[in-house]
Amino acid sequence: MPKRTLDRLPLRWTLLDKLEAIARFLWPARLRGATGWLFITPALLLVGVLLIGLGYMIEYSLHELDLSTYRLKDAYTLDNYVFLVEQPVYLRVLLRTLLAATLVTAMTLFLAFPYAYLMVRTPSSALRKFLLVSLFLPFFIGQVVRAYGWLIILGKEGIINTVLLKMGLPALDLIYNYGAVVFGLVQYMLPFAVLLIVPAITAIGEDIELAAESLGANWLRAFWHVVLPMARPGLVGAGVVVFTLSMTDFAMPEILGGGTTDFIASAIYDSFFQLSNSGLGAALSIVLVTLGSILVAIVFRLTGAGTLSIRQ
Amino acid sequence: MSTAANMVEIRNVSRAFGQSVAVDNANLTLQRGDFLTIVGPSGCGKTTLLRMIAGFDEPSRGEILINGQNVASVPAYQRSIGMVFQKLALFPHMTAFENVAFPLRMRRFNPALIPELVDRYLSLVKLDHLAARRPHQLSGGQQQRVAIARALSFSPDLLLLDEPLSALDKKLREEMQLEFRRIQQELGVTTINVTHDQREALVMSDHMIVMDEGVVQQSNTPREIYNRPGNRFVAGFLGVTSMFKGRVSAIQDGLLSVDMGGVTMTARGNDALFSIGDAIDCAVRAEQITLLEEGAQARENTVTGLVRQRIFEGDRMVYEVRVEDMNDSSLYVFDHNPGKHGEHDVDTTVRLGWNAESFYAFPVVK
Ligand SMILES: Nc1ncnc2c1ncn2[C@@H]1O[C@H](COP(=O)(O)OP(=O)(O)O)[C@@H](O)[C@H]1O
Ligand SMILES: [Mg+2]
Repeated sequence: MPKRTLDRLPLRWTLLDKLEAIARFLWPARLRGATGWLFITPALLLVGVLLIGLGYMIEYSLHELDLSTYRLKDAYTLDNYVFLVEQPVYLRVLLRTLLAATLVTAMTLFLAFPYAYLMVRTPSSALRKFLLVSLFLPFFIGQVVRAYGWLIILGKEGIINTVLLKMGLPALDLIYNYGAVVFGLVQYMLPFAVLLIVPAITAIGEDIELAAESLGANWLRAFWHVVLPMARPGLVGAGVVVFTLSMTDFAMPEILGGGTTDFIASAIYDSFFQLSNSGLGAALSIVLVTLGSILVAIVFRLTGAGTLSIRQ
Repeated sequence: MSTAANMVEIRNVSRAFGQSVAVDNANLTLQRGDFLTIVGPSGCGKTTLLRMIAGFDEPSRGEILINGQNVASVPAYQRSIGMVFQKLALFPHMTAFENVAFPLRMRRFNPALIPELVDRYLSLVKLDHLAARRPHQLSGGQQQRVAIARALSFSPDLLLLDEPLSALDKKLREEMQLEFRRIQQELGVTTINVTHDQREALVMSDHMIVMDEGVVQQSNTPREIYNRPGNRFVAGFLGVTSMFKGRVSAIQDGLLSVDMGGVTMTARGNDALFSIGDAIDCAVRAEQITLLEEGAQARENTVTGLVRQRIFEGDRMVYEVRVEDMNDSSLYVFDHNPGKHGEHDVDTTVRLGWNAESFYAFPVVK
């Protein structure tokens, strides 16, 4: 019979044992309850830095710009916020942003749901792979490159207009407008939404749908009464992510809007880097963060946090 | 509503998935009010057959008649079939009440009548007091009851059960078997139950079908199938069965003389299937074998063997005995009253006997 233990352990085992001994020395068993904290500390630090930044932003937003020195005055004031309220252009930008984010969210969910459903339910593994690859491909391209890609296709001298002119038809204004920005954002958000909806649909057993059918529901009713309510966590999670990403987006309105369709992010950028008014920019940022947080809180309040929550 | 004599009729139905045949030329008829159980090992095609009856899948060949009507072109949601699934498939976002009301709403029952109907079926399964609970707030057995109430509330022509009890522990399962049987008899609903549990099949059904590898092996009453297994598979599948190889040495009036290696035994079998010199399989159930005491009278088939293993099962003792005279095969025998004549130790010799009537001969399957 072979001996139970080896005289010489493989090198890898010896090294691992040494490492474990060091770890035991540095982190005695007494501290085991705190191990979880040890691992989330880096993430907490990152979030903490963000919070510090936010604190500075609040501080900046409370000082007015001194036009003679182009520095912020020392006195505390709400003038920046008053300015935002008094200038109708900011309200317009804000409403435009919110409306666009709402439209983008609705359209993205509408398109993403069938995509995710098909990806989960198709019996053909070839189709599933195709859908998955098509989903991830845009991720590798990046937002800015993609937006420029749309310029090449939709622009004044882009592919579509070239074809139209060749056919003797008038050229169309396909870019530098609201529609183009919304379109670009939907296209950008689709993969995020699909990825967030897929687990929700996977969690609905196929038997559930068959049960609904055998109980007398045609597919439309089964979808409405069973699939949709059961997929709600996924839809809520995807909706919140898409809405917040759209509301804070910068590149799409910049590139596809061409200055006609500025979002809040553009206004913030302009305040900081065109007007050099960091107080105003900070105030706008705070408005954006507050508004976004309130909207997300309302949604969570009404529907639960969906896929993003730990417990339901 | 038509009143065809047969509630379900399956004619030459096959279903192939690519090269593999899940159901192979199945035939069955089921009368109104009958309880049929289809039993067979996992993967033998039971679910596939049920799915075709329910309308989730179509036969590759053959036809299915429900209530005298060919249902080939009737989608699942228009068939009058209640189904209880292996994983129950309750709607988690609905209460027990809403689950049971679902088919009534979908089938456009008069909304004024729905609460009363739901109450009646929840009472039938003794769950009326838990109507407001969601499925995850109910125990496994209670979820079963919701599933069955939901499948029955719209008075379907046919109830299909796809191993809904398989996930329960033994005690609860046996309780629910009797419960299902009670409900089925109370309502008189025609039922097809599918299971891999032979005991469930024997206990619950009026009729029984044994399937293996997509093929219906035997179809009859549970008693008849248990006592007269039609082939080697059925004999081996039901009960605790010991199998032996042998060779036919004489045939007379349904009785075969079989050379088992060292001894010649008598077995029963259909004359027409055998001729002298054939290699055959012989089967005997453990409860048909008697441990013969010193001086007890020999049976038609008597051998001595060596105890290899003794297993205490509470209500009985099971012995595994090796018999040298039967090509060194092992057989299992029960002793239901071990206190009476003492236990046999491992490696001691015992004498065993059984009658020709309980020794089934089958042609060897190639
Ligand atoms: N959709 C399918 N595609 C391919 N093969 C299948 C499919 N459904 C069932 N089968 C095969 O058919 C056979 C019978 O399956 P099933 O009816 O589920 O068996 P059971 O319910 O008796 O356990 C199995 O071999 C299974 O692998
Ligand atoms: Mg099955």
